[in-house]
Amino acid sequence: MGNLQAENASATRINKAPTKAQTSSIGLNINGVTRTFSPSSPDMPLLWVLRDLLGLTGTKYGCGIEVCGACMILVDGQAQKACDMSVSEAVGRKIITIEGIASDPQGKLVQAAWIANQVPQCGFCQSGMIIAATAALKAGKHGAAIAGSINNLCVCGTYQRVLAAVSTL
Amino acid sequence: MTTTNQSQNFTRRDVSKMIGTALTIPFTVGLSTREAIAAGTTTAALGAYLKIDALNNVTIAIGATEMGQGILTGLAQVVAEELKLNWSQVVAVQADASSLSSNPFANPLFRAQLTGGSTSMRGWYLPLRKAAAVARDMLLAAATQLYGGTWSLTTGGRVINTTTNATHNFSELAATAATLTPPDANSVTLTSSFQLIGRRVPRLDVPAKTNGSAMFGLDVRVPGMAYAAVLHCPTNGGTVASAPTSAVGATNVINLGNAVAFVANDTWSAMRAASANASQIRWTLPANLTSRDTAALSAAAKSLVASPNATTHVYENIGANQAQAVSGASFKIDSTYNLPFLAHACMEVLNCTVSVTSNSCEAWVPTQGQQFLIPTIAAVTGLAASAISVHTTFLGGGLGRKIETDFVIQAVKVSKAIGKPVKLTWSRTQDFQNDKYRPNAAIRVQLGCDNTGTMKGLVYRNVSPSINIQRNTAPGNNPEDTGAVAGATALPYDIQNRLIEYVPLPTDIPLGYWRSVGESYNTFAIESAVDEVARASGVNPLQLRRSALANDARALAVIDAVDQLSGYSTASLPAGTGKGLAFLKGFGSYIALVLHVTGTAAAIRVTRAFYALDCGQVINPDAVEAQLQGGLVHGLSAALWGQVTFVNGMAQVRNFDNYRLLRMAEMPVVKSTIIQSSASPGGVGETPVPVVAPALANAIANLTGTRLRNLPLYPGANMGEGGED
Ligand code: FES
Ligand code: FES
Repeated sequence: MGNLQAENASATRINKAPTKAQTSSIGLNINGVTRTFSPSSPDMPLLWVLRDLLGLTGTKYGCGIEVCGACMILVDGQAQKACDMSVSEAVGRKIITIEGIASDPQGKLVQAAWIANQVPQCGFCQSGMIIAATAALKAGKHGAAIAGSINNLCVCGTYQRVLAAVSTL
Repeated sequence: MTTTNQSQNFTRRDVSKMIGTALTIPFTVGLSTREAIAAGTTTAALGAYLKIDALNNVTIAIGATEMGQGILTGLAQVVAEELKLNWSQVVAVQADASSLSSNPFANPLFRAQLTGGSTSMRGWYLPLRKAAAVARDMLLAAATQLYGGTWSLTTGGRVINTTTNATHNFSELAATAATLTPPDANSVTLTSSFQLIGRRVPRLDVPAKTNGSAMFGLDVRVPGMAYAAVLHCPTNGGTVASAPTSAVGATNVINLGNAVAFVANDTWSAMRAASANASQIRWTLPANLTSRDTAALSAAAKSLVASPNATTHVYENIGANQAQAVSGASFKIDSTYNLPFLAHACMEVLNCTVSVTSNSCEAWVPTQGQQFLIPTIAAVTGLAASAISVHTTFLGGGLGRKIETDFVIQAVKVSKAIGKPVKLTWSRTQDFQNDKYRPNAAIRVQLGCDNTGTMKGLVYRNVSPSINIQRNTAPGNNPEDTGAVAGATALPYDIQNRLIEYVPLPTDIPLGYWRSVGESYNTFAIESAVDEVARASGVNPLQLRRSALANDARALAVIDAVDQLSGYSTASLPAGTGKGLAFLKGFGSYIALVLHVTGTAAAIRVTRAFYALDCGQVINPDAVEAQLQGGLVHGLSAALWGQVTFVNGMAQVRNFDNYRLLRMAEMPVVKSTIIQSSASPGGVGETPVPVVAPALANAIANLTGTRLRNLPLYPGANMGEGGED
């Protein structure tokens, strides 16, 4: 892989370049810090703001139609599909993405359970899975109740290990 | 432990420097580096595969692509074993594409840098062990040269003096070692006591895949890059007649011939511009739409499979008078099985990031097919191979789709046209509707056995489209497509008279390699038919297979292991539960699966799955179990719901809402037995998939008495909304 870290570091700089189509600057509380950017339109889904404008690429695009769960993030502690939330709806909310999950007490537990159970295969759905489990744990659910609230799609079929991981929570 | 993500610091320059030192034989490559010092005296590269840094971390470059199967970890284990490394000092990276004819990252099994056919461990296991052992001997020789005396290997990347017990780190020796002449890889001693091979070593890629830092193709960001979305013709195979040169919401519109790319400042804007301007594109439709209509194709297949006049290619003709052997048998079946086209539906859609300049091209690709990319890019750009570099990212699933070059060509063309880097992404709908599909098939099986369950004759005819004919890799009219009958030929069953025929079915629907390829349909037909003839004769299906495998000890052991694990022959199941068995010898391995089902034929629930697997020497049992669990899910989704239909060339699939896949609430409990073995490693990635559909159909027949011969079992099932809001 060539120079990817440097490229990631420069993401913010790239995205500050103004273009005609962009609307005015917006600030969002993401992973505990205020991130400012100019979305291409107020109805731009948060998914693409995170990924393309802010370089938070851990949140994934899977379907774009609220079916797969790969794009899940925490909004005010609840699981939310980022393909289904516009940037204007997100203003004033507290957003946590997979990149910030270790700073959340429940998120840290979920992450550790995922590692202990060696859950990921390709890993592409796993951000969403971890967010879904974290949200359930934050809502006071445990074990099978967490499992019952996860309906994310995993093409690799890691479900048995997701079940094993959440059974420890 | 250093994660693979951190290791992506390992730059192209490092890798090509190492590649530049390659010998002609990949196995020995590791070892001949003469320009090994990458950074002063602190970091030394030992040939193509190893790099040792000042902290004594050892970076291992892996030729196989990590797409979820855990191969990065497995092959690193193999190398680390011979070097007695601590797992915490191991870093693994995926190699860039190489255009050298002596490509050190070409799988030694077939001398190409690609990942497919469950061949990575089969191809690399011994060569990498030998390469590591050569490196070990060179490090020991370097110690002698530097410090005198004799040295042996000890743990933690160190050598120890055999008389004084003094130790030195590899990092102190690597630069000197790299100047030595490597010993012959075929004369080195390999370790016989394993510390890492066969152990549940934690995967190197798991931490990065739980914190958002794993770098998939879709996550690559290059300074100054634009974002592109593509639209293909809604009628499969259509080409661009005319496209607008500019469009609202797009900075550029590029005619790609087979599609139109819309470029914008972010992916969403590019996709939005594509759909907003779709109606402005004029398409030239392909001439023959019937050849892209699945109803017409299945009708043609059904007719050919029964026709005495079909032109057949005989792939196996064993014994004599096979048809008579069947008709003369006490019990016989004559069944036709029908299977649909399937999509790959990788969780990560197709995408590629490319930067083309007037004299160079750099690409970041989620690819299983590095081998093809540099020549392909050279042809599109006119650049010399030496001006092109291709980096392998993580893959959000590959499943055979990401061995193709179509999405890479598009990204290269766009970057070249706009004069800056671009990330090109297919929307989920574009990904579904422009796949290279698993071919459909109609398969007729005539099979007879006597009253003891001894199979007497098999007449087998597969009618399906040929990937090789479509790609012009078949000479003349001979499909030369052994893949089309894989899983039907070379059966391990002792059947004295067998005729295996293949009839290519012409189609223009794009075909591709779908996890387990030919076995994905042939094993369904064979293992369903074996079950049918067993039921007809009243012989226990497991015993019938057992007697037909009497001469194959490994096969028998797997059958017995699945019997013991599942209680297939002995345990009485609760009322309302059915059981089904299927077996496969393939991909260098042996596998058997028993499924338990409940419900009715109209609404089946799979409750339990029992796998027994002999894949030879196991490298990482945890990774093998993961493939069994995941392969089951993949196979179940396909058997229950998977199909792509085309009406006059228009794909009817659009997204995961009408291509149903198994969800967690539907997950059966999987148990497995992995046979201890020191035989050569077999394949694991594809092996668990083909047995799923027949085990399911056999279980349903056991439960309900109804034999289901057409896949998917539940066509038209849609999936509701997933995930919790
Ligand atoms: S991308 Fe949002 S649910 Fe699939
Ligand atoms: S781990 Fe690959 S899709 Fe879930």
